[in-house]
Amino acid sequence: MAHLIKVRPTKIELVKLKRRLKLSQRVQKIVKDRLSILTMEFLQAARDTVKAKQRTMTAMTEAYKAMTVASGYHGYVALQKELVACEADISVTAGPRSVAGIRLPSLELNEPAGGLRGYNLTQTSSLVDSASDTSREALRAIIELAELQRGLELLGAEINRTKRITNALEYIVIPSLQVTIRFLTMKFEERDREEKARLKRVKVLLARKEG
Amino acid sequence: MHPDLPHEPAESGYDKLLQGWLTGELRLVNSGLPKKRCNLRELMAEERPSVSCSDGSDQLFKRSELRFLAGLLDENEQDSLLLPILIEMTGAESGAIVLCPSDVELKIVSSVLGMRLSYERPGRVRIYKPQLSLLRRTLKTTTQYAFSAVTTD
Repeated sequence: MAHLIKVRPTKIELVKLKRRLKLSQRVQKIVKDRLSILTMEFLQAARDTVKAKQRTMTAMTEAYKAMTVASGYHGYVALQKELVACEADISVTAGPRSVAGIRLPSLELNEPAGGLRGYNLTQTSSLVDSASDTSREALRAIIELAELQRGLELLGAEINRTKRITNALEYIVIPSLQVTIRFLTMKFEERDREEKARLKRVKVLLARKEG
Repeated sequence: MHPDLPHEPAESGYDKLLQGWLTGELRLVNSGLPKKRCNLRELMAEERPSVSCSDGSDQLFKRSELRFLAGLLDENEQDSLLLPILIEMTGAESGAIVLCPSDVELKIVSSVLGMRLSYERPGRVRIYKPQLSLLRRTLKTTTQYAFSAVTTD
């Protein structure tokens, strides 16, 4: 797919093309490096996502089980009465993190200070404690999964884009520049040869005139 | 001019476009580099531990990672550990280079990888792809990639 770039056949253009080629090769190196890093991160994120998904499913199952046992022991109404009092918004620290130039989300569940549960410990059994622990674990797993899945999507899109850039550089931009540089170099060599032949011819004519 | 040459949109326009695109790519890959690095103790004291990046955005550190790092270091070492730890990628060489201005970074990397490492050059430790993967898995937010192109010509 290499084609000649239409440029004026001058030395200054040749210098410009050589400079452009150098820059393109430099960018190609970096982009290739970036692509390998993004792929590595993507594979890691995919593995982590599978694990996080399994963890979330397990945690949710455990949480529902524990909650069912606790409500069976205390009674649904009594348990709800206890839990309504300790209802609180969850706090998540969210922000971006950069991986090789792309912004991925970073989410982290803020643990409540002092480890207080919010419900009356004397009125409830350890079954409620267990349900609370497993629910928090499920929440942590959900947040981790959310972070990983969004990261996976963004990494995938960026890998596609970077691949297109690498291919454009490798198969179009750099070969075109190389072909044009070769063409201009040959043209200048040809011009030099013509100039030499012309000078020789002039020299012969002058010598003939003097003779 | 050669009659067989295909037509470019506009000679100077194409040139500018390509130049702009290439330099844009270079800027993009290093846009996440921090303007100023902060030490671990300062970050631990912050409510929202983060540093600002060269593109104006923030890089948030996870508290769990900071706690993990603090667990590996004593108080003096926490003062001298600057975050994020930079991992330099140079296309010319295999693997990556972890920039270690002090011995604390070396200690962290050695602990995470579970092996004794040494400096390849002063302040630079070489690690390979599987090790890099392990390091990044453990320290997702407290490490950062820096790309540099070493040209041999």
